[in-house]
Amino acid sequence: MDKGLYGAPDLFRRTTGLAFLLAMAASIAAAQSDDQRIKELEQRVEELDQRLRVSDRRKELGDENAATKARTAPVVNADGPFAIRSNDGSFSLRFGADLQVDNRTFIGGRPLPSTDQILLRRVRPSLSGTIYKSIDFYIRPDFGQGNTVLYEAYVQFNYFRWANLRVGKFKPPVGLERLQSDDDTNFVERGLPTLLVPSRDIGYQVSGDFFKRKLTYAVGAFNGVPDNGLSDASPSRHRDYTGRIFLTPLSSDKHTLGIGIGATSGNVDGIALPAFKSFGQNTFFTFASGVTSFGHRTRLAPQAYYYYGPAGIVAEYTVSEEGFQKGSVRRDIAFRSWQVQASYLLTGERKAFGTLSPRKPFDPKNHTWGAFELAIRMSDFSADPGIYNYGFATTATTPSHAHEWVGGVSWYLNRMTRVTLDYANTNFGGGAVASAGGNRPTERALIHRFQVNF
Amino acid sequence: MKTLLLYTALTATLLEAAGPVKLLNVSYDPTREFYQNYNAAFTKYWKTKTGTAVQIAQSHGGSGSQARAVIDGLQADVVTLALAYDIDVLSSKGRLIPTDWQTRLANNSTPYTSTIVFLVRKGNPKKIKDWDDLTKPGVGVITPNPKTSGGARWSYLAAWGYALKKNSNDPAKAREFVTKLYKNVPVLDSGARGSTTTFVQRGIGDVLLSWENEAYLALNELGKDKFEVIAPSISILAEPPVTVVDKVAAKHGTADVAKAYLEYLYSDEGQEIAAQSFYRPRSEKIAAKYAKQFPKIELFTIDLFGGWQKVQQMHFNDGGIFDQIYTPGK
Repeated sequence: MDKGLYGAPDLFRRTTGLAFLLAMAASIAAAQSDDQRIKELEQRVEELDQRLRVSDRRKELGDENAATKARTAPVVNADGPFAIRSNDGSFSLRFGADLQVDNRTFIGGRPLPSTDQILLRRVRPSLSGTIYKSIDFYIRPDFGQGNTVLYEAYVQFNYFRWANLRVGKFKPPVGLERLQSDDDTNFVERGLPTLLVPSRDIGYQVSGDFFKRKLTYAVGAFNGVPDNGLSDASPSRHRDYTGRIFLTPLSSDKHTLGIGIGATSGNVDGIALPAFKSFGQNTFFTFASGVTSFGHRTRLAPQAYYYYGPAGIVAEYTVSEEGFQKGSVRRDIAFRSWQVQASYLLTGERKAFGTLSPRKPFDPKNHTWGAFELAIRMSDFSADPGIYNYGFATTATTPSHAHEWVGGVSWYLNRMTRVTLDYANTNFGGGAVASAGGNRPTERALIHRFQVNF
Repeated sequence: MKTLLLYTALTATLLEAAGPVKLLNVSYDPTREFYQNYNAAFTKYWKTKTGTAVQIAQSHGGSGSQARAVIDGLQADVVTLALAYDIDVLSSKGRLIPTDWQTRLANNSTPYTSTIVFLVRKGNPKKIKDWDDLTKPGVGVITPNPKTSGGARWSYLAAWGYALKKNSNDPAKAREFVTKLYKNVPVLDSGARGSTTTFVQRGIGDVLLSWENEAYLALNELGKDKFEVIAPSISILAEPPVTVVDKVAAKHGTADVAKAYLEYLYSDEGQEIAAQSFYRPRSEKIAAKYAKQFPKIELFTIDLFGGWQKVQQMHFNDGGIFDQIYTPGK
């Protein structure tokens, strides 16, 4: 029997074997522990991986939802005109306003035709919009000059570009400058031909365009207001039938030519009589007492404009022939008027019939000053001499002729803000002989306007 | 006779000149492939039968969302949605179809059926066999939002029905069961197709509650080496209905072709295409032909819950049970 190295072979062998077994057990235990740890780590990694994936997916879905909402969310436009609209544009609501503050000064000998004053010429908030993609509405009252007047209230059905139907109160399609927005005219007050066309009337209109808008037309039936008038009630049982056709044969980035004619026709028995105002908004023509409308009224208004770069010319002629009666005398009297106006944008913007956008809006910090424009106008008005012969007006108080020239300068601070200074000289003739000098005194009016519109 | 021929030729020429009749089928997420194939078949059938070309466009999304889109003006000539409630609202809220729309075609206007199964990763690492396994801690369940997805509503009700049956129709136990299940749902997509993306492409979760047809489609497209379909012991008979949207079809002048389009779903060819797309056909003949591809599952119907109106009000309307048991993001 082997006693071993220290004479105790069994003990040594047993000790060594035990140590080996312990080492093996420890090793196995360690290995098992490592496996367990690895498994736990794998599990943790998997959990973290899932959390990360879930987080990414939630973000992805959040982005998708946001994109979907953006596609369907209403759009708010605060860049003028202020508007809220559905994402597809089928529904919208627009808020607008037109504020004009005038300073009228009359120059010349006494007595002055009117008191110098600062006044609110127009204060017109507007609410307009679209419903169901093709139906527009527009509502615009005026609170200017201490009055409350509903200027526009209509609905327009735009299902066919060649035939839109408009119903309500709006500008009948006759005079060129009358159809131009109050904010876009070259001068603070329109020319004399506008006196002979309706301002706003209640009725129906069908309008449309053809050949890429080179031909537009409008026809309508209206209550038939007096010249330059507007009313919320029908002045008679008759109707005024109105039509206008306008061609723009030349229309390019360089220049635009527009030419057309408007006309109305209708009976006028018993409607109110018109009264005509000068540039300074003084009434210079009134009918004698006892005169009434009788018979028929016809208006004809050829018109044109031409814009070439920064320059523009607008011209129109209007004749309004209407039947009047005083006592047993019945006669047709014609009023005629024309105007030519020219304008030039000193800052080089392209002139157009619509709203001007300055190239460089007013921003003194950046040394940009907006747009500047010069404009002149010649305008003339006359009534048939028969107006006196038949007693429809009196020479003592009423001139039968007015002739004006106007010069003005406009400063467009931006698309919505404008400052204008106009000087108008209006001569009267053929009447008002009781006044000093034989005729109604010349009106020399200086009007300064601050205007904001959107 | 010559006049008649001339008239016929002229009519045909005019019809041709007018272009094809256009139909829009507004459907839910997992029917894309099915209707692509079906539309091709119907177009051919209709041309042969009437000589008229028909062009069919499809729109897909969550069933509830699609129904709302139609009410809001999406010009659907026909709708083929995931469940009857979503079509009911076209009548009750949209006034686009009559209230008795479901009686107009056979089987309550449900030409094919499906059910809810489980899609798991290959090897089924979480050993998911039945509904109980979905409530275990650590199991990620992927299903869309039942408020926007028809398939998700079927899944929710399948789980609820299972729990009812297991617990002697005890609604409290069913609610507890479904609450536990939705605690395991990490992401709610808006539609079934989105959930499939979450599970398959984004690798999230351990099990996808899926339309049966969507599960087999995923299996075929993505490979049987990656996923497995698990049929639970019990599930719900999902009955996706179809109908003509009367007001829209009348406006478009497509009522006849729209009606024919849906009726043809019941034809042998329509049923066969449905079966090939893993929808369970209504036709016994076609069902027998494709019996092997559908696992045998005990199926209960929506009647277990008293119908869709009751279910919608109790579970899925705002403030309903689903809103109470599910907290987003947790």
